[in-house]
Amino acid sequence: MGKLLHRVLPGVAVVLLVAGAYLGLFWAPPDREMGDVQRIMYVHVPAVWMALLALTLNFCCSVTYLFKPSWKTDAMAEASAEVGLLFGTVGVLLGSIWGRPTWGVYWTWDPRITTAAIMLVAYVGYLALRRFVEDPEKRAVWSAVVGIIAAVDVPIVWFSVRWWRSLHQVQSSPKTVDPLMVLPLRVSAFAFLALMIVFLARRYLIALAERNAEVALPEALPSDDPATRGGSGASKVVA
Amino acid sequence: MSAPRPIGVLRTTLVLMRKDLLIEWRTRARLNALVFFAMATLLLFSFALGPDTRLLERNAGGYLWLAILFASVLSLGESFRVEAENACLDGVRLAPSDARAIFLSKALGNTALLVALGVLLIPVMVALFGVKIVLGLGDLGLTLVLGCLALSAPGTVYSAIASNARARDVLLPLLLFPLIVPSLLAAAKATTLVLQGDPMHQLGSWFGLLSGFNLIYWGLGFLLFPKVIED
Amino acid sequence: MTSLSTLLVLAQAAANPVGTGRIQGGWGYVWASYGITWAALALYALSLWMRRPRTPFGSKE
Repeated sequence: MGKLLHRVLPGVAVVLLVAGAYLGLFWAPPDREMGDVQRIMYVHVPAVWMALLALTLNFCCSVTYLFKPSWKTDAMAEASAEVGLLFGTVGVLLGSIWGRPTWGVYWTWDPRITTAAIMLVAYVGYLALRRFVEDPEKRAVWSAVVGIIAAVDVPIVWFSVRWWRSLHQVQSSPKTVDPLMVLPLRVSAFAFLALMIVFLARRYLIALAERNAEVALPEALPSDDPATRGGSGASKVVA
Repeated sequence: MSAPRPIGVLRTTLVLMRKDLLIEWRTRARLNALVFFAMATLLLFSFALGPDTRLLERNAGGYLWLAILFASVLSLGESFRVEAENACLDGVRLAPSDARAIFLSKALGNTALLVALGVLLIPVMVALFGVKIVLGLGDLGLTLVLGCLALSAPGTVYSAIASNARARDVLLPLLLFPLIVPSLLAAAKATTLVLQGDPMHQLGSWFGLLSGFNLIYWGLGFLLFPKVIED
Repeated sequence: MTSLSTLLVLAQAAANPVGTGRIQGGWGYVWASYGITWAALALYALSLWMRRPRTPFGSKE
């Protein structure tokens, strides 16, 4: 299992990635309206799918952790958030690049883009929280709570932005998917999936090793004494 | 953790809220700080955007909510700092009081504070930006209450977390701002409608949206908060 | 089904010479996108390798 995951799968991922890039860049026909620019889709869409998949995994791990605490679940939550953020960032960047030639702007307040951007910021906050809490147990519980709230927030953001935008014209890009476009998309998606699993497995091992080190050497952690923290945020404002 | 106790959640909530508000009333440090901070924010908006009265008037609702939001970060951060000083939170929990009651009392207390802030800010906004309140004070009040509720519930959960972390002053806004985007959006939109008239009768649906957000955030906070402060 | 696809091909062939609304070129955007993706994935893989656990702890999973 481990050998398959850490030796074979990376190779498969790279081969599929190259194949997907070849199919997407040279083999697939240009889109009728968007021309060659449409080839961005073969990396943009799989990246976004993988981001959603990883962040869904993060949500599942967060819920599981609250019911049944375990370092493995916590490590997987950390891994999935980071990998999800990676793919999500790539997806949003590519969407923005794609928007330039098709919509004429890098950014529109389209519900999808806006929600994606807010989602990324939310998970940056999640990872920052993980970094800023030293006590591994508290960090696990708190980040599980934050992970759940962030995941629940995503559909809410989507809904509110759609409502907010509904007063304006919403731009749409009709896509008719040609069978010649399905194959590169599929190959690319499986390449990204394989790559994501490899990343997740690697990152999981790193997180687990960190947890083990933290639990083994609790005295090595910085002290969590509230007395050492100055609390003068409000008094500064008064003064 | 949450076994039924002889003293009900609601009664505990009221007792704790009374305690918090009493502390606040005796010093009034927090409300004073918030009011001056938020007024300065409103004033700065007019400087940053120039003396274009039309522009300021049109966007007044958004500025009001941004001022309340920035102030709420201060207020929320402070609400658990008070408890951290002499490990008061542990004392409250050993009293014993239900963790959910602590959540409700803190969140309601923050809401009360923010609504009070909003009530003080609205006349300032009217004067500074030259707005007219077209739809009446009732609708404006409802917007204020719903919006402050929607800021306070997730804010309370996150400030309980952030108050124990390193770099909490950075962490709280980082966690909170993406989360409250929907509430901010709905509240600002509803306020703008109240201030400028609502020819297409959209206000009701924004109120519905805000109420839905509140239901979700308060439900989540109620369920998850005990996990946050348990050891 | 076949007739439909022939029709589509014909329609495409008819539309192509006119070229109304079709975005020309744009390969720069495409290469930039693929480049960013590959660079991001490669950098992340590198960072994972740099952070690899040194202790034999979790390696038996």
